Amino acid sequence: MPEVKEYTNQNKPTWCPGCGNFGMWEALKRALSELDMDFDEYSIVWGIGCHGNGADFIRTAGFHGLHGRALPVASALKWAQPNLNVIVEAGDGDGYGLGLSHFVHSVRRNIDMTYLAHDNQIYGLTTGQASPTSDHLMRSVSTPKGVLEEPVNPIGLALAEGATFIARGFAGDIPHLTELYKAAIQHKGFAVVDVYQPCVTWNKHNTFPWFRERVYKLEETDWDTSDRTAAFDLSMKSFRELTCTPDECRVPIGIYYREDDTETYEDGVTAYGEPLYKVAEEPRDVSALIAEFR
Amino acid sequence: MPAGIPHGATEVRIRIGGPAGFGIKAAGQSLARVFTRAGYETFDLTEYPSLIKGGHNTYHLRVSDHEIHSHVLATDILVALDKQTVPLHLDELTEGAAIIYDPKDFDMSEVEGVPEGLCIIPVPLTDIIYDVGGQKIMRNVVALGAVLGHIGFPIELLHASLEEQFSHKAPEIAEVNKKCASAGAEHAAGQGCPFPLDMHPIEGRDPRILIDGNEALSLGALAAGIGFYAAYPMTPASSVLHFMAKHGEDLGVIVKHTEDELAAMNMVVGAAFGGARAMCCTSGGGFALMNEAFGLAGVSESAVVVGLMTRPGPATGMPTWTEQSDLRYALHAAQGEFPRVVLAPGDRDDAFTMGWQAFNIADVLQTPVIVLGDAYLSDHRASVAPFDSSAVTVDRGKLITEGEVTDYLRYRLTEDGVSERVLPGVKGAEQLVNSYEHDEFGYGAQGEDPDVRVAQNEKRMRKLDLAREICPTPAYYGPTEADLSIILFGSTKMPVREAMSWLEPDGVSVNMMQITTVWPFPAEEVMTFLGAARKTAVIEGNLTGQLRGLIRQECLLDVDHTLARHDGRPFSPEQLYAWIKEVLA
Ligand SMILES: Cc1ncc(C[n+]2csc(CCOP(=O)(O)OP(=O)(O)O)c2C)c(N)n1
Ligand code: SF4
Repeated sequence: MPEVKEYTNQNKPTWCPGCGNFGMWEALKRALSELDMDFDEYSIVWGIGCHGNGADFIRTAGFHGLHGRALPVASALKWAQPNLNVIVEAGDGDGYGLGLSHFVHSVRRNIDMTYLAHDNQIYGLTTGQASPTSDHLMRSVSTPKGVLEEPVNPIGLALAEGATFIARGFAGDIPHLTELYKAAIQHKGFAVVDVYQPCVTWNKHNTFPWFRERVYKLEETDWDTSDRTAAFDLSMKSFRELTCTPDECRVPIGIYYREDDTETYEDGVTAYGEPLYKVAEEPRDVSALIAEFR
Repeated sequence: MPAGIPHGATEVRIRIGGPAGFGIKAAGQSLARVFTRAGYETFDLTEYPSLIKGGHNTYHLRVSDHEIHSHVLATDILVALDKQTVPLHLDELTEGAAIIYDPKDFDMSEVEGVPEGLCIIPVPLTDIIYDVGGQKIMRNVVALGAVLGHIGFPIELLHASLEEQFSHKAPEIAEVNKKCASAGAEHAAGQGCPFPLDMHPIEGRDPRILIDGNEALSLGALAAGIGFYAAYPMTPASSVLHFMAKHGEDLGVIVKHTEDELAAMNMVVGAAFGGARAMCCTSGGGFALMNEAFGLAGVSESAVVVGLMTRPGPATGMPTWTEQSDLRYALHAAQGEFPRVVLAPGDRDDAFTMGWQAFNIADVLQTPVIVLGDAYLSDHRASVAPFDSSAVTVDRGKLITEGEVTDYLRYRLTEDGVSERVLPGVKGAEQLVNSYEHDEFGYGAQGEDPDVRVAQNEKRMRKLDLAREICPTPAYYGPTEADLSIILFGSTKMPVREAMSWLEPDGVSVNMMQITTVWPFPAEEVMTFLGAARKTAVIEGNLTGQLRGLIRQECLLDVDHTLARHDGRPFSPEQLYAWIKEVLA
């Protein structure tokens, strides 16, 4: 089993000191190590943002795609290489802004892969504009009077589209996050972990201390992970107001909902199973098909 | 001899016109099958507005016992399923042409401008179907029977075609349809208006397939071992999706109708990363959404094929019509600079051949390849000799799919610009395939170093030199010395070849260079061709002279004449014949 430190390479992370991305990075390496994943057994696909810069800092045969478009690349990679564990890392601007429709459709498809959202509720890389998950009325360089929209609710959205695994993590609790990652990677179907990943440089509101005062673990309550409606209600309730106190807004982390026997997209695809390079080793005989045009 | 009929040829041109949604295209294609199986060459042209019901739809079928290359405008038999069909097509009727119509639909004497000397054949299409116990949708079949009855062509061939068409339905359905056809034929034959030519099935001809450009391209892609096809429907590319969905899965192709074209193109890149031969097809609007990911394919060195079937733009444009206005767009789409190959099939044979060659080129170069077509090639069926699938080869270039590698660098600097490509899943294949500029491993962090950037940028562009060695060279038609030398690309090849065959017996010699690989541009070949020419012309289906501009840019040469067309219609051989005579007068 590769040790945790073996998953890193010679590149030193360029994230701001104290950034939530460090916690997510560490948790992923631990999860891969604990799942005994060798470097040829998984592939990571990234979108563009600070989260995406992590592509340089971890060992994999991976793909650093376009802003918002990691999911379609990853989906087809999975179909082409069924034996790979495919993991997507996306940002909140990246995945819930430009990439929102890919997110919704990937949930619907229940493709067998893992989706890790670096949800810092801000655009980090492009210097602090509001993101789709920024709180209502949050001020930023692009919204000086505050965000007028309600934030995207990724958990509710995924549940509404039939998500089979949906969890929320916090980058400040690495052991807990590691367990969520392991469960997500092992889940057969599309597993979403939306991770609160404080951006220490631009988001002065949703900070580490802010979350620490509010998070609680669902598994430490009598939470039933098989109740989709309750999970949906919970996702709606956990929206915060900028001014709410720690008693008023509690932030649940852990697995909101899971179901394990649902068919995946791939289950319905006849041509799925063998790696797709195998059908291109020699020309395909289409003479019978050509003859059908007589 | 009127323009449009080669010397000694027996030829008939049939147009069926009527409201959309009445199966005119399907009916016409049955007729095409009948004649093709009877040893004739056929070429059809369906013209329809972007509507499902209503509007004016027509199907035009050219049938000849000689080799033909394109549609024509002339019509010898007009089947008018509604009143407006007649005035819309009067000016294309040949002398003594026939009009088949149902007097219950309209009164022919009320149609203005119908000249004397036409053969007017009233056929009670609707009454006949009720007589034989049929349904309204079978009016077309009665009309087809009437066409064959008028020509004096054996109805049995249509019967056989109908039996085949309805073989999966209850046997009574085929029977009623056959009765409709026979009744239509008998009725038309008894009108005392004889058909001037003797047409009968021809024995001993080599078999033909009846196929359109999208089907030909799809077959080429399947032969090449395509493993993944993704698309979002857009006319005129949608039928590739339908074809792949119908035939692909059983042949091991994963076919995905995606949420949008951005997903389609990104998926194709992802599938290629995973080792599949992957393609998506679309039209201009869809390609606009694919642009960013098309550039991603360039910088990430992904072996992908994109079919770009042009319709008149910009924006939604004219969905069901044709144009050649996306040449420059194909050449320049996406930001930054990266190598791409643009192939432009000119007919069905080209579409099949380039369909499989595109995948070899993409794999060898590890860069995106566009197959640039248009609605004229995509949509219309013609009879051609069955494609030779034994000629297909698979060359995956420097691809390693299994085993183990050491010291692997995805973007290793090489002389030809192509690096080894090792699939994820292979031991030692760690790499970062990257949309950012990157170093040899693929890391973005080092990609901003000026030397690394320049090295990688130049490495990628070196692949164009290799492209020049492996891409199809121009095709030439006509004599080496000619009065007029024409340069063109894409589907314009078809009507130009047709017009050339009409001009030859008139003693007008024309030759033609078809640019098959539009990028990298075959500048030397073009210079040689123009250098040897007396008079030169470019014929292209766009307003601004995109190919002509490219010749000027790449060869520092110009041509004497341009014929451009951008009204949504393909060039007709009649138009080309007249224009070439005028240019040479
Ligand atoms: C098509 C496109 N539009 C805009 C950008 C610029 N851009 C890069 S990252 C980013 C937003 C980053 O925010 P987020 O996705 O939340 O990621 P973070 O940096 O916070 O991790 C933007 C707008 C881009 N790269 N591509
Ligand atoms: S800008 Fe924010 S998200 Fe980006 S690295 Fe710095 S702290 Fe992290």
